[in-house]
Amino acid sequence: MFEPLLTALSYLFSDGLNFLYLALGVVVGVLFGIIPGLGGATAIALLLPLTFGMSPEQAIVLMGGVMGAVSAGGAVTAILLNTPGTAPNAATCFDGYPLTKQGKAGLAIGAAASASAIGGMFGLFILAAVLPVAKSIVLWFGPPAFFMLALLGLTSLTVSSGNMLRGLIAGCLGLFIGFVGYDEIGGTERYTGGVDYLWDGLSIVPVLIGLFAIAEMLMLFVKGGSISESGSQEKIRFTDTVQGIKETLKNLKIVASGSAIGSLIGAVPGIGGVVASFMSYSFASQITKDNSKFGKGDIRGVIAPESANNAKDGGGLIPTLAFGVPGTAEMALFLGVLILHGLNPGPMLLIEREYTIFVLILTMLGATILSTAFICIAAYYLVRIAYIDSGILIPSVISVSLVGAYAVHNTIGDVFTAAFFGVLGYLMIRFDYPRITLVIALVLCSLMERNYTQSMIMFEGDWSGFFRDKTALVLFLFSAVALSIPMIQAFRKKRQHPDGTPG
Amino acid sequence: MRFISFICALFVLSACSGGGGNSNNGEYPQENISIVIPYGPGGGFDTTVRVFAPHFAEKLGDDVTILPENIPGTGGRRGTTTVYREDPDGYTIGILNLPGLVLPSILGEQVDFQLREMSWIGRIESQNYVLLVQAESDIQTLDDFIAQDEFTFVSIGYGTTVLAAIQIAAEQLGLMSKNPKFLTGYSGTSDQLVALVRGDGNATISPISTAYQYVRSENLRPIAVTGESRSSYFPDTPTFEELGYSGLTPLNVQRSLAGPPGMDPVVLGKLREAFLQTMESPEFLEAAAQAQMDVAPLNGDLAAQEIENNFQYYEGFRANLSNPNQL
Repeated sequence: MFEPLLTALSYLFSDGLNFLYLALGVVVGVLFGIIPGLGGATAIALLLPLTFGMSPEQAIVLMGGVMGAVSAGGAVTAILLNTPGTAPNAATCFDGYPLTKQGKAGLAIGAAASASAIGGMFGLFILAAVLPVAKSIVLWFGPPAFFMLALLGLTSLTVSSGNMLRGLIAGCLGLFIGFVGYDEIGGTERYTGGVDYLWDGLSIVPVLIGLFAIAEMLMLFVKGGSISESGSQEKIRFTDTVQGIKETLKNLKIVASGSAIGSLIGAVPGIGGVVASFMSYSFASQITKDNSKFGKGDIRGVIAPESANNAKDGGGLIPTLAFGVPGTAEMALFLGVLILHGLNPGPMLLIEREYTIFVLILTMLGATILSTAFICIAAYYLVRIAYIDSGILIPSVISVSLVGAYAVHNTIGDVFTAAFFGVLGYLMIRFDYPRITLVIALVLCSLMERNYTQSMIMFEGDWSGFFRDKTALVLFLFSAVALSIPMIQAFRKKRQHPDGTPG
Repeated sequence: MRFISFICALFVLSACSGGGGNSNNGEYPQENISIVIPYGPGGGFDTTVRVFAPHFAEKLGDDVTILPENIPGTGGRRGTTTVYREDPDGYTIGILNLPGLVLPSILGEQVDFQLREMSWIGRIESQNYVLLVQAESDIQTLDDFIAQDEFTFVSIGYGTTVLAAIQIAAEQLGLMSKNPKFLTGYSGTSDQLVALVRGDGNATISPISTAYQYVRSENLRPIAVTGESRSSYFPDTPTFEELGYSGLTPLNVQRSLAGPPGMDPVVLGKLREAFLQTMESPEFLEAAAQAQMDVAPLNGDLAAQEIENNFQYYEGFRANLSNPNQL
């Protein structure tokens, strides 16, 4: 393991161009992360033609820079505008945005960036450590395990949404929307009304742009003024950001659990970062004793999802490199870059090009650190966004968002989707329904349904097969535990206050 | 992308009108040419176009730029429809999937294009299929395979070329009386191969080059390949034809270039000529080999003939291609 590592290191330092590519990747990555709608996938697609003349390793350095930086950039928009810059940053909105409203945006950005850095390093460390056994990890997850994982995702969703009934309604709405489109197993179109655009189902990015960016701007339009409710511009101090970094270091337990959840979920293709960061958030809010401030501006609510969010990239590379099975759109594009440069991802890549993989890991490590530094410094200027008057902010954000929605697939339908979900999102804020629950249910819907049907074909209709698959059984037990935690907590409270007074 | 190409087109137009005396006055090509890829970036069709485009542009003229344009959706039909409806001026062509685009109309789904009417420029790639089992199984030959009692084929979803290939193979090998299961719904060929390694099922059929790595890493074992001759990837694996199942020989997946119907013969002629030159260019062949493409060139007329062959072949199996997991 150490020899290819050293070869990779000496390669990186042998040519100054490598650092230029890395820096370019990081800058593009952060910027694309910040702008809602544009994400890692768009950045890689745009930079792909640039790599034609490069060696495979140089291309990897450039792309690694992008991948290591995107998710950290996405946190900035989540915190400042309540709009996830990339899909996995959605959970960061919960506490990041309330902090901005309280005039503590610098603190939140500092914490998010540093949590991202530590999480990212953790994920890459896990990647390097498990690569030799990556094969067996991917092989643990067959259709029954995927189904149970989706079930676990939905369970933790229900448990952690403050108002369970409204959470369930939003979740069911998400599942319902997820059914729209062509059913690949049953071979029928569902709820498409013959419209071609709906054949592939609604894609997640325009839905997110609508639910968050546009809805938030509608909200601001009604409210007027600027995002920050307290303080004036003079309050922006660089020390806030440093304080945020300190907060992260104080809460290393949350960073560790978030990173672990991120790497694990990231390694499962098809689940993606949205679920990883959300599960980390909900786990953190359950294990901390004093969780009353979660959702109202608790810094730990920023640290948890951001550490998971960056750790998932390391995890996500496991199935991508080991089997050529990409977990996310971004990984699918990265796979294309590898193939174009004659590196065929799959079992043999790990054996034959170990050194190339270490180049990737080292680059992403560098990108993680560079992007954090970049964001911390830029935070000083970025937080001013929160003080911009709505008359300027709303039109700018809405036009960037709609262009972002269009850019994903070059389809005008996506713009209408974003607008529709903008109105829906506004109504959901107005009547206090959790938007993220809808998003996660939408993400998990097709995964859950497909793997359920596949499992039933495998078991010939005998559902007890779910409990004979070891991974599925373990995940089922996790769901059972997650469901029972609130009950146990309620029971304890009752015993402490037998007269029924609230605790 | 379209916006960018629009801007570029405007730029080129203004340059033409401003310069006045352009050297290749009125001759095709004068603008950028886009090649529509009906699938997302990063996949096989995308890679093919990105490798092919720069060399093709070179053969078309000195200042020609080719812009790959991804229009994914509805299993490749959206992008194909876009090409079909474009002006046949030679500035928009597409890379099309055979039999992927033939299958929908055979399965009775609505399509908004007529492949037979399109202006075929040539075939770039053709890949044969391989029948695979787990490397740790006892199955060594096709006879061993057929002698089994239970079959679970893992596959991508209904309506795809891979599932059609599996269904046709199951029929031709005489397995239908043993009630084989078709475990469909995997999201790609790699996904499907991993599912077989994991043991979700006990057999699958996949394009050869995708399967190659899994065979080399001793996870999967090839049993037989389609096509008229053995594959260079698996020289020891017999063809179905050698083993007496010639009905499976025509099973393959092809990537061909075509433009909208009714293209000016002069323009089409230029495209076809540049295409054939590209297919012989050592630089292109080298880049294609690096990207592990299966270059199998056919000229425009022969590529068009392949459409006819595909329709005839798959039409013959229409009864076998219904959805195995219909609810």
